[in-house]
Amino acid sequence: MLLNRESSGKRWRIRPDGLGKVTGRLAYLTDMSAAGMLYGRVLRSPYPHALILSICTEKAQQLEGVHAVLTHLDVPGLNRYGIAHQDQPVFCENKVRYVGDAVAAVAAETAELAEYALTLIEVDYELLPIVDDAELALLQDAPLLHPQGNLLHRSQFNRGQLGSGFAACTHIVEDTYFTPRQMHTYMETEGGLFVPEEDGRLTVYSPTQHGFMDRLQLSRITAMKQERIRIVSSPIGGSFGGKDELNVQPYGALLALKTNRPVKLHHSRWESVRAGLKRHPMKISMKTGTDASGHLLAHQVRIIADTGAYATLGAEVLNFAVEHVLGPYRYDHVKVDGYSVYTNNGMSGEFRGFGGNQAIFALEGQLDRLAEKLGMDPWELRRMNMRMPDDPGPFGQPIVVTEGAMQVWNAAEASGLWQERGMPNREEEREPWIKVGIGSAFTMHGGGLGVGIPDPAGGRLLLAADGCIEAIFGYEEFGQGLLATLALMLIEQFGLAESDIRMIIGDTDLVPDSGSTTASRATSMMWKTLQNLKAPFTSQLLERAAELLGKSADKLAMGAGGIYETAGDSLLLTYKELAEAKGERISCSTAFQFPTSDTPRTGAHFLYTYAAVVVKVEINQLTGRVRVLDQYHAVAAGPVMNPQGFLGQIEGGSSMALGFAITEDAVMQQGQYMTKNLDTYLVPTIVEHRGTVSVEPIEHLPHGDSFGPRGIGEVGSVTLAPAIAAAIHQAVGIRVTKLPIEPELLQNDCAFAFAEEAVSKR
Amino acid sequence: MSKHEMLGAPRGAEQSELACTINGEEMKLEVAGARRLLSVLRDDLALTGTKRSCEIGRCGACMVLVDGKPINACLTMAYQCAGKQITTIEGIGAADGGMDPVQRAFLEEGGFQCGYCTPGMIISVKALLDRSPDPSEEEVEEALSGNICRCTGYGGIKRAAQRAIEWRREAP
Repeated sequence: MLLNRESSGKRWRIRPDGLGKVTGRLAYLTDMSAAGMLYGRVLRSPYPHALILSICTEKAQQLEGVHAVLTHLDVPGLNRYGIAHQDQPVFCENKVRYVGDAVAAVAAETAELAEYALTLIEVDYELLPIVDDAELALLQDAPLLHPQGNLLHRSQFNRGQLGSGFAACTHIVEDTYFTPRQMHTYMETEGGLFVPEEDGRLTVYSPTQHGFMDRLQLSRITAMKQERIRIVSSPIGGSFGGKDELNVQPYGALLALKTNRPVKLHHSRWESVRAGLKRHPMKISMKTGTDASGHLLAHQVRIIADTGAYATLGAEVLNFAVEHVLGPYRYDHVKVDGYSVYTNNGMSGEFRGFGGNQAIFALEGQLDRLAEKLGMDPWELRRMNMRMPDDPGPFGQPIVVTEGAMQVWNAAEASGLWQERGMPNREEEREPWIKVGIGSAFTMHGGGLGVGIPDPAGGRLLLAADGCIEAIFGYEEFGQGLLATLALMLIEQFGLAESDIRMIIGDTDLVPDSGSTTASRATSMMWKTLQNLKAPFTSQLLERAAELLGKSADKLAMGAGGIYETAGDSLLLTYKELAEAKGERISCSTAFQFPTSDTPRTGAHFLYTYAAVVVKVEINQLTGRVRVLDQYHAVAAGPVMNPQGFLGQIEGGSSMALGFAITEDAVMQQGQYMTKNLDTYLVPTIVEHRGTVSVEPIEHLPHGDSFGPRGIGEVGSVTLAPAIAAAIHQAVGIRVTKLPIEPELLQNDCAFAFAEEAVSKR
Repeated sequence: MSKHEMLGAPRGAEQSELACTINGEEMKLEVAGARRLLSVLRDDLALTGTKRSCEIGRCGACMVLVDGKPINACLTMAYQCAGKQITTIEGIGAADGGMDPVQRAFLEEGGFQCGYCTPGMIISVKALLDRSPDPSEEEVEEALSGNICRCTGYGGIKRAAQRAIEWRREAP
């Protein structure tokens, strides 16, 4: 059944954070200010690669109204940060490696003055040769960005004998796929407020996906104990992976500590573009072969990922791509060789889909090319080769039994949009230069961080003194609807009314470390936490109520507003009365790890979400522009926790994939961004979103599955691009290998002749 | 050394008086000549519902109504607002503190996720419905083409706009 307001019934609820958002009353962390606050600004390198010969801050220091000018000499602790590898300098000491590299920072009484002070800092650079091509960066004579070389990480996977595998193939296709440097383009740019407290602690109000990770990193940089730092991290005006690494926090924290005044930093869009993370551009070469009947035999892949100047999560993204270039298919002979490479280009890092987007575009392209060679329906080729419910995962690792692949395949096959493909194409209704095609693609997408990476989870429930039941989690709300999902789960699983609930997230002073809000994991982990807490928390409440009421606990039940007699409808005791009763505070907590596969392969996943997309596109052969007319998404992720959120995540993810496919590219030349703002970096607008988006959740899980809902935060963003490529091929016979799709590729001289003829007839 | 002695120091700092109406309240503000409306609203008046994002008039996050027309506050100099009626998201809604139907439609349809574009979106829909009570789908598209949302894929926004239109049809 398609997901919408009507089919969701009462579960379609107003979000708890909605009122503040539609009235503008909700203060984002970049909206905050404080009395006596200073404004921070960061001086960044104008050059992609240069030695720093000297830095002179004297003139800036002397400027009236400037309270601090900091360089690497002012970092009390570790002058490096990074979630996985701490290799990014807070302030560069002797070398800059990209145009966002920070050299100094200023705090001044006005933003204008801080900006002006930056111009008075004199930095003497000696330019170095620029490495702006990841492939060339691997050559032996390439200039070195880091002493250890330009290779950040190599990830390989081998199974079978590739040579004999290809020798047995009847059909082999080979192609190379290129994907763009996509930008997160969260509407709220990075920023925040940094407040030194009277007791010497530091409070950081700055968006992040993992407050505790920020706290750890800031403690290393400032040489303060972690407990002396408080991170307030929600609400967030969008992140999509882009605010997981530190961005403004080191500068805000150091300036606030130095001046002992609150400091506000808020990036301009251009600052956000140059300093912020992007999706890794990848070059993926694939050679794939089948036997005469279409069974996949051999698959060879080479991935080159441009990770930019510093590591961030480049190694982990590459590992994910290596897993997902294998996909939900069976092959005997596989060889994948991936390289994540340092360059002087913009920083690449974590981004919704985490390397899956690039991998799936390439892999699904191969399947389509093979189907064409075989003269076979591309969807049927996928069915023939897809994994079975008990099959191991892409690396041969044990994974949870899942029927997801076949479920989404069947759903897409049965969808009206896919059925339309066989119907007569009503050419006569369109201008002759408009062509329409239908395409499809599918995938499995891992959730959680995977084997070998700490992936803690958990949370706490407690009955507060005012009778509210507090749900306390270390997760962050960046728009995905986490609070709404949590509220709905508490209402449905505990029988609570909305007014009984208080949700506390995003404040390291108040919440347990529940791990990062990333990798499509938070809903799964909140659900599991509530499963763990339900019995102990409920029984504590009911036992306390039983004492007060003089009744047996097994005759009582939790409900809206308080405790009810199981047999009747009358409210016997409110939660407030229960909270006021004598005794220890009723509280339960749980801590566990995201489930992982029993394999030594780092990053391998255990839980997967499956998705299939069918898309109908229109190509204007005069302009070469592609317009998506209709989309159908089948998503097998277990029970839907929050219908509005589920629909919104798939629609929103697909919008990001649309941009990835047709317009978005942070273009760089010689290590400089050519696309500095949203006038040249084009994200989809409402006009690009004609037509319908149908979302069909497949909620059925295999019998005995104890893992509950799988994450859907990323899966909507990974499968649309290859489906669009397939639809384009169906319409005009052209294979797309490079994203975003270049209109020139789809322009057609014959179409111009048609157009001229049409015009002359009028 | 004073900042004014230094070559290239920030200019346009001379203050002048700006008289305008903001959210129904007549105001006289001392504003430097180079200030933009966005900065006056957010930094001086703490009306932070108007959001800062691209600052080149492309994304619509800072949209406000000036004499009923939707404009980008990032592209509007404060002095250009002399004598004008400015309505920000904080000024949308019934006088009794209730919501405008457009706001309610966004709330009920889930026409937002992170919510950072939402004030601008609501301003644009409100302006559209005020000038064209029963717009076509194309008109809605055109009216919202200057507002970027990165979260929703516009699905919820389109549903919210449609719902607001239906409500107006039912109870003009």
